[in-house]
Amino acid sequence: MNPSSLAVHCQNVVKIYDTGDQKVTALNGVNLDIALGELMMLVGPSGCGKTTLISVIAGILDQDSGYCEVFGEDLLNMSNQHKLNFRARNIGFVFQAFNLLPALSAAENVSVPLIINGMKRNDAERKAVAVLEQVGLGARATALPSELSGGQQQRVAIARALIHSPRLIVCDEPTSALDHETGHNVMTLLKDVALHNDRALVIVTHDARIFDFADRIAEMDDGHIVEVKGVGVQASPASTSKACTPVAAKP
Amino acid sequence: MNHIAIKMLMGDRGKYLGIVMGLTFASLIMTQQPAIFLGLMSRSYSFISDVGLPDIWVMDEKVQFVDDIKPLQDTELYRVRGVSGVEWAMPMYKGLLKARLADGTFQTCNVVGLDDATLIGGPPVMLEGRLEDLRRSDGVIVDIDGARDKLGKPSPMSGGKPIALKVGDSLELNDRRAIVVGIAKVTRTFQSQPVVYTTYSRAKNYAPKERKLLSFVLVKAKPGQDLAELTRRIRATTGLAAYTREEFMSLTYEYFMRNTGIPINFGISVLLGFIVGAAIAGQTFYNFTLENLRQFGVLKAMGTSNWTLLRMILLQAVLVGTIGYGLGVGLTALFGYSMRHTILAFKFPWQLLLFSGAGVSLICVFAALISILKVIRLEPAIVFKG
Amino acid sequence: MQVKYTLPILAAAGFLFAAYTVINSNKPIPVAPVVAPPASAPFTSFIAGSGIVEAKSQNIAIGTPLSGIVKTVAIKVGDKVKVGAPLFYLDDRDTRAELAVKRADLAKARAGVNEAKASVRDTQSLSALAEAITDRRAISSEELLRRRNALLINTTKLGSAEALVQQAEAALTTTQTTLARLVVQAPINGEVLQVNIRPGEFAQAGALNTPLLVLGNMEQLHVRVDIDENDAWRFDQNSKAVAFLRGNPNFKTDLIPAYVEPYVVPKKSLTGDSSEQVDTRVLQALYSFDRNQLPVYVGQQLDVFIEARDYSGDGRPPL
Repeated sequence: MNPSSLAVHCQNVVKIYDTGDQKVTALNGVNLDIALGELMMLVGPSGCGKTTLISVIAGILDQDSGYCEVFGEDLLNMSNQHKLNFRARNIGFVFQAFNLLPALSAAENVSVPLIINGMKRNDAERKAVAVLEQVGLGARATALPSELSGGQQQRVAIARALIHSPRLIVCDEPTSALDHETGHNVMTLLKDVALHNDRALVIVTHDARIFDFADRIAEMDDGHIVEVKGVGVQASPASTSKACTPVAAKP
Repeated sequence: MNHIAIKMLMGDRGKYLGIVMGLTFASLIMTQQPAIFLGLMSRSYSFISDVGLPDIWVMDEKVQFVDDIKPLQDTELYRVRGVSGVEWAMPMYKGLLKARLADGTFQTCNVVGLDDATLIGGPPVMLEGRLEDLRRSDGVIVDIDGARDKLGKPSPMSGGKPIALKVGDSLELNDRRAIVVGIAKVTRTFQSQPVVYTTYSRAKNYAPKERKLLSFVLVKAKPGQDLAELTRRIRATTGLAAYTREEFMSLTYEYFMRNTGIPINFGISVLLGFIVGAAIAGQTFYNFTLENLRQFGVLKAMGTSNWTLLRMILLQAVLVGTIGYGLGVGLTALFGYSMRHTILAFKFPWQLLLFSGAGVSLICVFAALISILKVIRLEPAIVFKG
Repeated sequence: MQVKYTLPILAAAGFLFAAYTVINSNKPIPVAPVVAPPASAPFTSFIAGSGIVEAKSQNIAIGTPLSGIVKTVAIKVGDKVKVGAPLFYLDDRDTRAELAVKRADLAKARAGVNEAKASVRDTQSLSALAEAITDRRAISSEELLRRRNALLINTTKLGSAEALVQQAEAALTTTQTTLARLVVQAPINGEVLQVNIRPGEFAQAGALNTPLLVLGNMEQLHVRVDIDENDAWRFDQNSKAVAFLRGNPNFKTDLIPAYVEPYVVPKKSLTGDSSEQVDTRVLQALYSFDRNQLPVYVGQQLDVFIEARDYSGDGRPPL
């Protein structure tokens, strides 16, 4: 693959959590490439390192060793300020629990990334209403998150992830809090509105019903990528297989 | 980001009210208790502050405070008058005398004798009658609180409120007749004894026979005269103690500070209020930050810098602090206002506004500081945890 | 939304109310007005003293030479009297009765003289008759001797009777003097300041605590100024002095030094309270002043300021 068309390039990424009396190896040498314009799904059992991996990719967690490059930039060796700016500009987040600020209206929630990037509040909210219309919630712009249904909240979260046109959108279990139909709609929206040639989507999920939306699916287990397979494309082995349970080792 | 911080704060109504109430309580205690304390302490020298005209009080060297009367010879008045820089000097008698009331009981009164000609040193506000009426034979002026309460005539019904002393009523001071010719309003004193004003020569008749009866010499300095210099000169020339009005007030005030338990008691209650207020407000604010930690994490993940978050938390702290402070001092003022006609001592100087402001600021800074530490140490990765 | 604005508004209102309370409650306490402005010294360095107004003559307490019941009081307070004017009369009935007796005595004595004179003339004529007889035998020598002696005796009796007249006259004069002494007269030109007797009262002769009458020369008044013995060393008789009327310092007058009583006396009470005993002694200086400038009465107190040299307040004379 052409390196310039790569959104994410991970090589032998290792992350060990030190909880004091024991060390948990969350990532144990992960190699993963994600191309622009690609919708990559990370699947696997709970505790196999999916969340840790997207945290590293999103630049909110530093790996202990290995190399991770996002749009050609090495996140580990970046200054804090640079990393904050990089995150603010290039990365959009969608969370399992939506993580909308409960005190802000839908439009205000959506405008937050723009405000973080330094836009004026009024401009940001105007643009937020436009994006909300894009996700079909133009009428509920002034509603508080508590007044919206789960699906609507996730749409707001998607609008928030999109508004500042990031090049990578990281989604953590976007559908697991939603029923099947709503989840399907949310995925359709993600695929239709969010995905295009200059952007990559990484979705962590173990909701098998939405696997069809992926371009590729990376299956993780025990801190490794077990297998990366294209949907409708021949699966290619990415790494050696190991036991599924996380390794707990005494220091 | 500031409006986000404000909305975060006010969005959680219960917590918001909790923090504000904690700070209101703290600021209330930190204002109201010192106000009562100051009110009480200012009563120790209220007699001096009521006598507004003279600049300097001359008395015996050994006088420790205003009620500690060590009388002088009458001729000292003329010696003080003879000191250069003295515009005028007037005698004043102050002493505790027993008044016999209509029902035969005795009441100790603070009798004040004013210079016969000028009546300098009289009560600041006359409610009935005029100060000049003191020149009438056997005339005395009684303060309103004393007239209503301690010097009042017994109620016809048992247990009822006493009938207030009126102009024209008579008293018996040391077996001598005294006719009330006026009712005055004076600032309450520490002992809250009734105050009876009369002329100097009449006060000498009322007072038990002593060789010396002159309590104070009230001195007005010539215009442009340096008061410190004049007090020094009076001391040097007459060998008496001379204090400016402020010096005499602080002498009295310090005597009470040193010799009574009031400062310690109120100091403890102010400290307690501060600690309780700090604990409540700090705890609620910290809790609030903890519960919003996820939201701060989301903001942090989305690229908000620690500096911005710090500013947001500070803004929240300042906001609740300001509101709590405003409500607290407002309630204190309301308390003082509603108690203005009662016996309660209450004094609210501007320094107290600053004091409680500083106290509330300290609490807020403390609460914000521990919250900020928590947020700065926060790993944004928590946002991905369910 | 309600909470959002209510609390800040309440807080702002609270703060404003507190600020209002602060401003309002800490207003300076009103200063009691001065009923009469106090007098203040017109000098930079001075001695202050209280003065009492008295007549220049000092105040004369009139006494009576004789004790007795007062019959009439001829004057009232404030009357101006000339020297010798009667002030009051004591009861004189007793003396007048005596006067009548004395007059009768005189008349009797005078009658005695006439009688003696007649006797003298009688014996004289008899004696002359006998002497005129040249014939010694016509009259016995015994008879002649008897007649001569009778004349001598009668002449002596006349002298005795004349002496009795003189005696009676002297007795009369004595009684008249006593009568005159029962009328008390003014010793000087002056004004009656005080009258403490009324007709019917008994006037006691001798020094009294309460004088029967007080007389003074009011044309010239003096101020007797008490100067504390502690200040006496600073006093200079010739320095300027000003007196102010108590109760209204707009009335003031310059004082002219009259004299200083060189004996320092215990301070007498000026306030009239006999129980007031002060063991300080005072130097008394007397000043005269222009009466027209100061409407004062004798006995009134004045605030007096006497200029003194400034010893820079250290209480020690510069040497």
